[in-house]
Amino acid sequence: MIRIGGVLVSPGEGGVYGERMIDGYRVWDPYRSKLAAYALLGGERDLAPEMRVLYLGAANGTTVSHVADYVEVVYAVEFAPRPMQDLIEVCRHRKNIVPIMADAGRPELYAGIVEEVDLLYQDVAQPDQVAIALRNVPFLRPGGTLMLMLKTRSVDVRLSPQDVADEAVRALEEGGMRVTEVLWLEPYHRDHAAIICEAIK
Amino acid sequence: MERYWFGDVEEGVCRPAETDPAALGRRIDAVRAELGRPDWRLAQACGAVRDRADYIAVLQAGCMERARAQVAVELSGRDVELLQMVRTLDEIDHVANLLLERAVEWQAILDPAFTRKYRRGGKALAGRIQRSPSPSLRMVGGEIEHLGEVRNRLMREVSRRADAVLPNTSALVGGLVAARLMAEAGGLSHLARMPAATIQVLGARTAIFSHIRGSAPSPKHGVIFQHRRVHNAPKEVRGRVARVLAAKLAIAARIDHFRGELDPAFVEMAQKKIDAAGVRA
Repeated sequence: MIRIGGVLVSPGEGGVYGERMIDGYRVWDPYRSKLAAYALLGGERDLAPEMRVLYLGAANGTTVSHVADYVEVVYAVEFAPRPMQDLIEVCRHRKNIVPIMADAGRPELYAGIVEEVDLLYQDVAQPDQVAIALRNVPFLRPGGTLMLMLKTRSVDVRLSPQDVADEAVRALEEGGMRVTEVLWLEPYHRDHAAIICEAIK
Repeated sequence: MERYWFGDVEEGVCRPAETDPAALGRRIDAVRAELGRPDWRLAQACGAVRDRADYIAVLQAGCMERARAQVAVELSGRDVELLQMVRTLDEIDHVANLLLERAVEWQAILDPAFTRKYRRGGKALAGRIQRSPSPSLRMVGGEIEHLGEVRNRLMREVSRRADAVLPNTSALVGGLVAARLMAEAGGLSHLARMPAATIQVLGARTAIFSHIRGSAPSPKHGVIFQHRRVHNAPKEVRGRVARVLAAKLAIAARIDHFRGELDPAFVEMAQKKIDAAGVRA
């Protein structure tokens, strides 16, 4: 991803949510976006122009808009109506975001819309985050990447974040994924871990 | 026959679907469970799209239409506006209290004899502030009073709406408490799916989490404390009243959601049970 003087940016039309611009590039704030935090903290994975992405938990399209600046197409799944209103507005300005209003835990309801993808990115604050990710893995091409932004506090507030993450890694490997990287998103996001996996098929 | 969002394939022949966004949105909605994994090359061969860019453009337009329609349906529920009204009511209370606190501090400087002690409620205070020597402060006092009027009006409307949207729940605890419960739950459909034990402590978020985290005792009640039968109950039976009331509210919410009309027989039976719970053994 592109950096200008240490600041993470993305190439695209600005003004989506009042983000700052540097030299015509949109500043991507790591405090607002977990993917930006992951990139700034030295995460190994990068976005590429030919990528097809399935994005679960699109919310109001802030991070989605930056991802769309880098990749070919983003299938953006969001369940709640209010953020979906904002996401639709973002889609009006970007030709490569396909909005899908559906429950990410029930992929059979959007299986007919989403093609095979290179990257599955998930950021949902649900207790069964890992199970949701695994249910969506069939969309991934063989060798494709899963980026799971694990919000440990949504899984169980009583357990330590480390234990929650360890359990998530175990469950992902049991589900047929190869975990290649676990990166905590401190200081940008507390108790969030980015778990990167590869689909072995 | 194999069906895809862009067309149907039968015996090797593909019939493209209508690619007008509204028609496409309706098609996806109607046959979404039968649709196969799409492949843009097949869509191109089918004649539904010209190329890769066209594939994404057509699919995006259809999905946007569909999402717009879904949002419209979600927001048309009768509980959606009520939820905003309840939250606005709470915000007005908050804002009015903050303003009054500040105005009292201001007035105390202008009038050394001014004190809050031995004065009942905000009304007398607001009266003094409106007679303040500072014109600006008088205006602030006027705003506080106006906010109070807005609040009362909104409160009556919330109560009236709740009687219509949540008839059974309102019959048990009154429209205002019923509406607050619904707002805490995030909507009527959420409230109707909650176990009674959750309804009992809705609105006691801090207390329930400090209980789950460690040593604090479990809360007995949340929003339902505002109902007279809970807060008027003697301390030793208050937990029991809250529990029985919550159990009946859970049923009432389900009737409200799935049937949507008042069930007098249920309400009468529930009232008896709740009253019985408040009697000291």
